[in-house]
Amino acid sequence: MILTAFSPRSANHKVRTRYGILAIISACILLLILVVFRRALEATPATHMVLLLPALAYVGALFAKGMLPNGVNISEANANAVTCASVWAIFFWMLPRYIDASLVSPWVDLLKFTSIPIIIGGGLALSWRKTNPYLRGFLQANALSMLGVLAFLYTYAPVRICNSYLVSDQKALGGIFLGIAAALSIYWCLPLFLCPKNFNKKGLSTNNAIT
Amino acid sequence: MSQAENTKHLTPQAGLVKLTMLISGAVFALMMLIGVVMRASQGGLLDMEPDLFYQLLTTHGAGMVGTAGLSGAGIMWYFLGRHVNLSAKMYIGFLALFLIGVVFILVSTFVGHFGGMWTFLYPLPAMSAGAWEPWAAAAFMLGYVFIGVGFLLYYLAVGVAIIKKYGGLGRALGWHVVFGKADVTEAPPPTVIAAAAVTIFNTLGIVVGAAVLVASLVNLLVPGFVVDALLAKNMIFFFGHVFINASIYMAVIAVYELIPEYTGKKWKSSKAFILAWSAILLFVIAVYPHHLLQDMVMPAWMLVMGQIISYLSGVPLLAVTAFSMCVYLHGSKFKWDLASSLLVLAVAGWSIGAIPAIIDGMVVVNQVMHNTQWVPGHFHIYLLIGEVGMSFGFMAWLVKSKSQKQSGMGAMDKLLLTSFAAGGAGFTLMFLVSGALSVPRRWAVHMPEWFLQDRLATIFALLVVFSILTQVIRYATGLSRNTAK
Repeated sequence: MILTAFSPRSANHKVRTRYGILAIISACILLLILVVFRRALEATPATHMVLLLPALAYVGALFAKGMLPNGVNISEANANAVTCASVWAIFFWMLPRYIDASLVSPWVDLLKFTSIPIIIGGGLALSWRKTNPYLRGFLQANALSMLGVLAFLYTYAPVRICNSYLVSDQKALGGIFLGIAAALSIYWCLPLFLCPKNFNKKGLSTNNAIT
Repeated sequence: MSQAENTKHLTPQAGLVKLTMLISGAVFALMMLIGVVMRASQGGLLDMEPDLFYQLLTTHGAGMVGTAGLSGAGIMWYFLGRHVNLSAKMYIGFLALFLIGVVFILVSTFVGHFGGMWTFLYPLPAMSAGAWEPWAAAAFMLGYVFIGVGFLLYYLAVGVAIIKKYGGLGRALGWHVVFGKADVTEAPPPTVIAAAAVTIFNTLGIVVGAAVLVASLVNLLVPGFVVDALLAKNMIFFFGHVFINASIYMAVIAVYELIPEYTGKKWKSSKAFILAWSAILLFVIAVYPHHLLQDMVMPAWMLVMGQIISYLSGVPLLAVTAFSMCVYLHGSKFKWDLASSLLVLAVAGWSIGAIPAIIDGMVVVNQVMHNTQWVPGHFHIYLLIGEVGMSFGFMAWLVKSKSQKQSGMGAMDKLLLTSFAAGGAGFTLMFLVSGALSVPRRWAVHMPEWFLQDRLATIFALLVVFSILTQVIRYATGLSRNTAK
């Protein structure tokens, strides 16, 4: 069943396979860079949370795209479930306690370097486009709100949220979160005002162009 | 689309909308009764402890704003369903979350004695001086979060459906007609333009509201997290202003859709109409600083912007909706009934209420009038006579039978309309008169010199309550009849 689900679907399979191999090589190189420079990237909360963690997720996404260049034949319900699992993993790694723990415990660090690429990056790469458009929109709106809340928490916290980082670094991270929220708002909302390419007078041909 | 297909996707949602309007009508009536009790207490007709007064005031404010939003959402959903394919599941999710939020708010005020007002202005929820426990304030704000998330789902469903059918929010707003080469005949219907604009600004308002609610909750549970009070106030008033405006802008869709059924003239999406709604989209977002004219630490440019946009805000309303309605009504011969009368009265109330609001939006006037009853005076005009009028006009139309359609307005209809109009006008006028006499707002205990207006307002409010209660009962009984709507 798994083999049929992952079966190639188009004639330009070879081209896709080449791109897939390239993506896997890129993912491996990027992962190696992140492992080698992880201490430097973990030196401040800004580089740790805004560079290292998203880069790890990107490694997973590249790897998933490389392994499955033709995508996955996944139902909407399963895509919703995978996306929700990815979101729960994001929630987990938003907790300062586990960011702190990853700096002092090799096991938690290992968990970070494996769970983020697999569950968040890989999961979202395979499921996001097949996820229900309402759920995608809800998660995007929620992401903006949560980035605003995180910006508030890191800016106004009376104590160090992460024991490993300075209060001044924490405040800088708050400002960066606010900037990301503003940038994402524009990036996600502007296309909604434009006419999608697959639009005709009968409406959109698919839901995927909506969010 | 064939009639069968039309019925297929509309029928379950029409039932849900009818249920929504029944809930809205009942809560409106209940909140009005609370309003009567408060005015009677201010007028010395009832003996009420101040802490109970503030719990009732909080319930009344939150209940009325929420119900205005709910009824507006019901109206918009019903008529938008004529143009796009809406998801019934999303509406059920919205309604369920809304009702969960209501339970949280009622428990917070009546069990937890929360009296921090519907504006939950930071840091008041956390500084009760023993009047309520932190859990009550937390329950109140969690109730708002549930309602906000429900509305977010609602607007997602609306946004997805509109984009799918009309190809982007820009086209749904008619920008391809005004700024592009498309002919005006290619413009979306007024309902779609209004729904697209409301979806944009209310989603923005709710996202900002959710952020400040979570920040306030964190402050409540961990007081060490101190929020910048001015930033929190800006966020709260942006959210509150946008939300309550959205409720009226959703409800006015009933006017766009139902008045043509009486006049026989289709409400057209002209270029002026499209531009007016684009202006509304900008003004609703940018005008909120007029709530903060007394905050001297606000940047001066924001206060100036608030005042200027307050002037401009009335133009799209008065020049487009009210004027267009007069043009459509002029020369149209039809039998007036309760629904059409309430809808026209509502547009009049909305327009009239905008005038004292614009006056209060001037810095020099606001410095004197802001904390007086002038403010509840103007917002009760456009919410009570305006939004509530539109909601009950729609409800009257929903349950109107064929025989009523032919007979027009009966004696009971005339009594209910007169009672609502006279009661509403008198009740709001008493607020304005009190405001002009510098009677403060939000005071539980009034001086004997202010009793006359309070008592007259109580009598006028009773007229409104009589009309509304009777209309709710008639609506509930009317629902049992098969009206095929």
